[in-house]
Amino acid sequence: MSIRICNLPFNSSFAPQPRARISSRSTRVFARTENDTQQQLNLSVLRFTFGIPGLDESYLPRWLGYGFGSLLLLNHFSASAPINEPQLRSEALGLSLAAFSIALPYIGKFLKGSVVEQRTLPEEGEQVFVISSNIGDSLKEDLAWATYVLLRNTSTIAVLISVEGELCIRGYWNCPDQMLKAQLHDWFKKKVDEIGLADVKETLYFPQYEGSSASWDILPNGTRSLFVQPLIQDINEPQKMDGFLLVASTAGYAYSDKDRAWIGAMAEKFRG
Amino acid sequence: MEARIILQIQIPWNPNHKFSRRPSLYLPRFFIRASSSTSQKPRSYRGPKPSKNLVADFISRNDDLARSLPIYVGGASLLAVLFNRTVSGIAPVADASSSQSRADLLALGLAVTNLLTGLVWLSIRPKSITPVNPEGVECKVVVSGLPTTIVSELLWAWESFKVATCCKSLVIVYNGICLIQIGMVAESTEDKKGVIVNTDKLMQGSVYQGVMKSKAQSYLANLSLYPGRSELPFLPANTQAVILQPLGDKGIAVIGGNTIRGFTSSDQAWISSIGEKLDATLGRYFIDSAAEVSPEKD
Repeated sequence: MSIRICNLPFNSSFAPQPRARISSRSTRVFARTENDTQQQLNLSVLRFTFGIPGLDESYLPRWLGYGFGSLLLLNHFSASAPINEPQLRSEALGLSLAAFSIALPYIGKFLKGSVVEQRTLPEEGEQVFVISSNIGDSLKEDLAWATYVLLRNTSTIAVLISVEGELCIRGYWNCPDQMLKAQLHDWFKKKVDEIGLADVKETLYFPQYEGSSASWDILPNGTRSLFVQPLIQDINEPQKMDGFLLVASTAGYAYSDKDRAWIGAMAEKFRG
Repeated sequence: MEARIILQIQIPWNPNHKFSRRPSLYLPRFFIRASSSTSQKPRSYRGPKPSKNLVADFISRNDDLARSLPIYVGGASLLAVLFNRTVSGIAPVADASSSQSRADLLALGLAVTNLLTGLVWLSIRPKSITPVNPEGVECKVVVSGLPTTIVSELLWAWESFKVATCCKSLVIVYNGICLIQIGMVAESTEDKKGVIVNTDKLMQGSVYQGVMKSKAQSYLANLSLYPGRSELPFLPANTQAVILQPLGDKGIAVIGGNTIRGFTSSDQAWISSIGEKLDATLGRYFIDSAAEVSPEKD
């Protein structure tokens, strides 16, 4: 099956329809696929929609599952006298179907072509940009460029690069304001040492980050995805630098395989 | 639990990473845990380990099966409801009179929901395209005389493209010189080696001129449909997609891939960022070297 792509005008005025309809409607979605050539796909697909803006119909199976499941239970408990066996069978079937329907949107999230959540910027707090002053100019430039590109090309809101213990921090972080840049660098360094991130040997990816121990509170509120990429230390290559690269985003499942490959390529730049 | 020691210290900036303590400024807001060792070995990582999500892994690997799963579930349930009715001897009448019928109706409604969801999932399945192995020879030609930093940056760009995208060939031309030609290269007919880039011919061709004039990245998603194909003879004959990235206004990077429409929009954004970086680096190097040659400065 292939996607039929056609440019239908986007219908931005929705008259609230009391009846549900099956319509061929053109939608602009941000889809995660390997083969799209534009940022936005104009998809003309068989879509079931109520036509109410802002209502996400992909969660419809879940609501129907809850609704019909509760009706089934109501029916069961309001039935008179002994319930015969065929009815019990039907109800068991109905309840398992309801459970499956509730799980459907979660399964759909992992399919190719599913809609990726967009990042939301934290309301409070400002962006920080701190670079250690202990490093040469060319490395400073590389760090500034790398952090900028990571913030722009992925759904990252906070990035931290550590090269041989010297840090470059950019984005929205949960750090004390009113602090001089020099002190801020030291503060981050202490926090990072507490977590022990320099010791990480392989990549860490937390697509559903829920918050962690106290040392991790440098991450901004609302962080949902976290990815740590070490600059791989190799005992055979002692002149290579060590360190790590940390990116955080407010969207869940924000870093696809491709994003992680690119972030690994950026980390390679600092290996020396 | 380790004992927390509240100290009033200010850790001075020391490039040797050693902490030397002396009591000075009082920082009222921070409690600093003193580390007992001042060694340079990093603390071991004490944080959450990522857990494997079996469901996600299974679904990503078996995409087709997962897409048609709701259809099978819905269809099977429909049949099961009818079967249940016939087996138990109740007439298959769909009204809401008895609680049996009501339960059956609800189950039917859920089965239909599943069927429709499965149909929707099937309809948005992206087309999968197989990559085509490029015909040619492996080649790595870097112009001599470049400083190691520049060479390492160019090789880093090649490694990034190779790992993260479907790129199989890379040619960078800057300031009238072909700086690097790496990856798969078309095999020349005379000898068994690769076709060398004819820089002058490339720079006079319409492909180069067009990209320079528009100053924007050009993505040829299906190279076989493109008439300017003949101006890129150094790429393997069955290169499927090409990205032409201008490096400022002095150079171009030609990136060949092995899949039709193989470069996603995210790849395009990354490639243009790396193109800007290469332009900055190369531009500075060439200006410096030109300034060395001619001592006058303006």
